Amino acid sequence: MLAVFLQYSFLRYALIIGLLVGFLAPVLGVFIVMRRQALITDALSHITLTGIAFHLLMAQSLTVLQPVNPVYMGMGFSVTGSLLLERLRHVYASYKELAVPIILSSGIGFGVVFLSLADEFGSDLFRYLFGSIIAVTSQDALVVSLIAVIVILFIIFFYKELFFLSFDEEQAKINGIPTKTINFLFTVIAALVIASSIRIVGILLVSSLMILPVAASVRLSKSFKQMFVYAFLFGELSVAVGLLTAFYFDVAPGGMIALTALLILGIVIGLKKETH
Amino acid sequence: MNVEWTFIERGITAAVIVGTMAPLIGTILAVRRSSVVSESLSHVTLTGISAGVLLSQLAGTEINPLYTGFAFSLIGSLVIEKLRQLYPDFQDLAAPIILSAGLGLSALIMSMSKSGYGEWYDYLFGNIVSVTRGDLQFIGFTAGIVILLFFLFFKEIKAVSFDKEYAQVSGIPLSLVNFLFSLLTALVIAMSMKVVGILLVGALVSLPVASALQLSKSFKQLLVWSVVFGEAAVITGVFFSYHFNIATGGMIVVMMSVMLAVVVVWSEKWRFSD
Repeated sequence: MLAVFLQYSFLRYALIIGLLVGFLAPVLGVFIVMRRQALITDALSHITLTGIAFHLLMAQSLTVLQPVNPVYMGMGFSVTGSLLLERLRHVYASYKELAVPIILSSGIGFGVVFLSLADEFGSDLFRYLFGSIIAVTSQDALVVSLIAVIVILFIIFFYKELFFLSFDEEQAKINGIPTKTINFLFTVIAALVIASSIRIVGILLVSSLMILPVAASVRLSKSFKQMFVYAFLFGELSVAVGLLTAFYFDVAPGGMIALTALLILGIVIGLKKETH
Repeated sequence: MNVEWTFIERGITAAVIVGTMAPLIGTILAVRRSSVVSESLSHVTLTGISAGVLLSQLAGTEINPLYTGFAFSLIGSLVIEKLRQLYPDFQDLAAPIILSAGLGLSALIMSMSKSGYGEWYDYLFGNIVSVTRGDLQFIGFTAGIVILLFFLFFKEIKAVSFDKEYAQVSGIPLSLVNFLFSLLTALVIAMSMKVVGILLVGALVSLPVASALQLSKSFKQLLVWSVVFGEAAVITGVFFSYHFNIATGGMIVVMMSVMLAVVVVWSEKWRFSD
């Protein structure tokens, strides 16, 4: 099975991207879960859909846009969306949790309108929603590798600040950490990772790759570092098993990856219960 | 009703019913701080629907996927409660776990079943033209149940939503009301699906309430404003989607977002000049 996988170049590139995002998504997910913002990933990924839809609509009249990958527009939208999200949290000071559903649902609403104006309800849309391993190019792999380098550098440089912010935002502010800047950078990074995962996992399932491995590792780990290690292992395992089985059974890779991550979570919850 | 309705009449009736029901349940979800739950439940409903479609194909009999969707969404709401107990420190993890699980399974079932993309897009993004007579019966029937339960248990629901401890002390069976509420949410999601689609049900539940929160000073006002915003968006959305030939669910949600933006900007300004 693996031999077939390595034979075709697009499958090789899909595997490379998969393994990269299988590492990036859960590692960022650890920070996101610790900050109790698990749902932000869903909001950002849904806004990415709006961006992609907007690009498809614009590309019909602006030929300059046609060769450009719609995912870039998606990234732009997702960063803008995250800024709006912060703003809404201030508007709804006593109902902060409303901000996420507002952004998430408006995002899809506008996305659907753009798509229907562009008349793009075809199999391409399905690919964006649930991921695909078909026709992954070397350029895709290159872009994701580049993003991976940026993300890793960001985490290494700002590890202390991110760590601090995840546990105690107030304290971090008092200690003179530029919380606003770090928060903004973190959101941009999250948007980048989400956009790179979309190719393989699909918009609707990005959050499962970011959150499920972390949810499993929360139950096993005793320290922050352990959480990273487990999240990383579970993430890679989900992607590897998910991609191979998706190819073998000819189903959407995003679904297979999410289900593998879910299975791992189920096993972890079951095991932990017995030891109690 | 012996007169056979046209598909447009059926669609508009369904939309108007849903435009009242979803914001009604949405107010309580918002007050309970669990607006996100509807989002995850709607994704589980998708699993149920895809399972229903697949079953119909395998068994060769016609099963209305709305029923399997409702069943899954009810099960999902119970699992969410269970997960919240499993992750006491990370209660917000429950919703995304269910959401991903629901979507993952649906993606799998959809790729396995042999239907074209078109049918799935109807369920994902809604298509009021596809509301059948059976669907309308389901919507009307469930709307009746929702209204009945809502007003019968209004006091209990309100008490539990605003002050859990007080409600418990005064002898209201907490778990029963919580279950009742899960049931109501599951019903509303299942019935909204044909009109706005699974990915947009969450909008119908949360956006009108978000607008209403800016204007209301009491819970009653909140209920009234939410329904007013919900209906206004549904009616204008259906109108524009028909005239400009745009997906209905999307247009309804865009109308809601526009209303929300206007209300937020207006009330911010008003607050400053006050």
